[in-house]
Amino acid sequence: MTVVSPDSPPSPRLDDLWAQAMVAVAQRQDRDAFAQLFSHFAPRIKHYLMQSGSPAIQAEELAQEALVTVWRKAALFDPARAAATTWIFAIARNLRVDALRRRQGVQSSEDAVDFDLLPSDDPAVEDQLHDARQNERLRGALRLLPPEQQQVLHLSYFEDAPHARIAAQLRIPLGTVKSRVRLAVAQLRRLMEH
Amino acid sequence: MDIRHHPDDDLLLARSSGHLPVGMRLVLASHLELCPLCRERARALDAVGGLLLDELEAAPMADDALARTWARIDAHESAEPAPVRVSAPPPLPPGARWPRALAHCSATPWRWIGPGMRWSRVSVPEDPAANVFLLRIAAGKYLPQHTHQGQEFTQVLHGCFHDGRALFGPGDFDAADAEINHQPVVQDGSECICLASLDGRLRFDGAIARFFGALVGM
Ligand SMILES: [Zn+2]
Ligand SMILES: [Zn+2]
Repeated sequence: MTVVSPDSPPSPRLDDLWAQAMVAVAQRQDRDAFAQLFSHFAPRIKHYLMQSGSPAIQAEELAQEALVTVWRKAALFDPARAAATTWIFAIARNLRVDALRRRQGVQSSEDAVDFDLLPSDDPAVEDQLHDARQNERLRGALRLLPPEQQQVLHLSYFEDAPHARIAAQLRIPLGTVKSRVRLAVAQLRRLMEH
Repeated sequence: MDIRHHPDDDLLLARSSGHLPVGMRLVLASHLELCPLCRERARALDAVGGLLLDELEAAPMADDALARTWARIDAHESAEPAPVRVSAPPPLPPGARWPRALAHCSATPWRWIGPGMRWSRVSVPEDPAANVFLLRIAAGKYLPQHTHQGQEFTQVLHGCFHDGRALFGPGDFDAADAEINHQPVVQDGSECICLASLDGRLRFDGAIARFFGALVGM
């Protein structure tokens, strides 16, 4: 694993490229830009859904659906407010939650309330921004976390019944999982503030 | 607005990773609407999810995946937009505002559940079983002493209450669980309106209070 200082100049600005592709989709219905987003994100969303328990066929369907949503809602994407990876993750996450609910026999709704729908009523905070640049710093900060914190964080996002199962999987007490998660989040916040 | 009580990192992470039940998520969303600080924290955790997703290995997609996605997109564009469903919520006193998070939900009229206490059940279309409700309690009145089987999320929409631990005012968020036994008392001067969701039931201390709980499905 490469260690990147959060202050070092970010090398290839992938986040910027994805943001540009999103804007091209939103403003010009640019099909090539969409195909690029598709080839990068769809296979990762599929992997994400499979990791959290969807069978491969369903994960494939949902990954396609996620990208359909990216296309349809691209106009709501604001590169000054969120990185493309953040925004696409939120779509994938909501689909995953919906899929779980459907497995439990509950109807789904695609109108989950999220940041893209929330008012940005505080310019001062919005200006601190979670744009592509901020995201590069966060990427660096993530890599500086101790491995055991990276691990619980990773499992928290990708496992289905996270903390209890993580505890069993790592053979550590539930309380330890929770405190590692809290430490990781606090540590990320500290790294982002400097 | 001076917000003093915020959700902690565990809850925000549960939200970002998609592990909060619908009702709890809704109450949390109504806090995020009002609180730029927590919105920023939540967004940072979504960003972490985005980066982890970005770094995942690619799972191979079907050969015709992109073509099928285009077909879905084109089908969507010719489809009629679904009608937006908004049901009129019960009236609020001047100065109080409904969270936008409830815009797609419906709520019953205010129902009397005790002297100075009214209640409205919120129905969430994506999860009919979600236990979400509004409480409207007059100045000086209180909820019976209770503890919780699961979690209880509360977002204050209007007025203030003190539950023995702290004073909660407009915009404040509270999460209570089995370790907390409290009695929310509405402060003098103004009635208090809260949006709440329960994951599990409440345990009331007294028999009359238990009857009260049964009455409103708490
Ligand atoms: Zn807050
Ligand atoms: Zn309580």
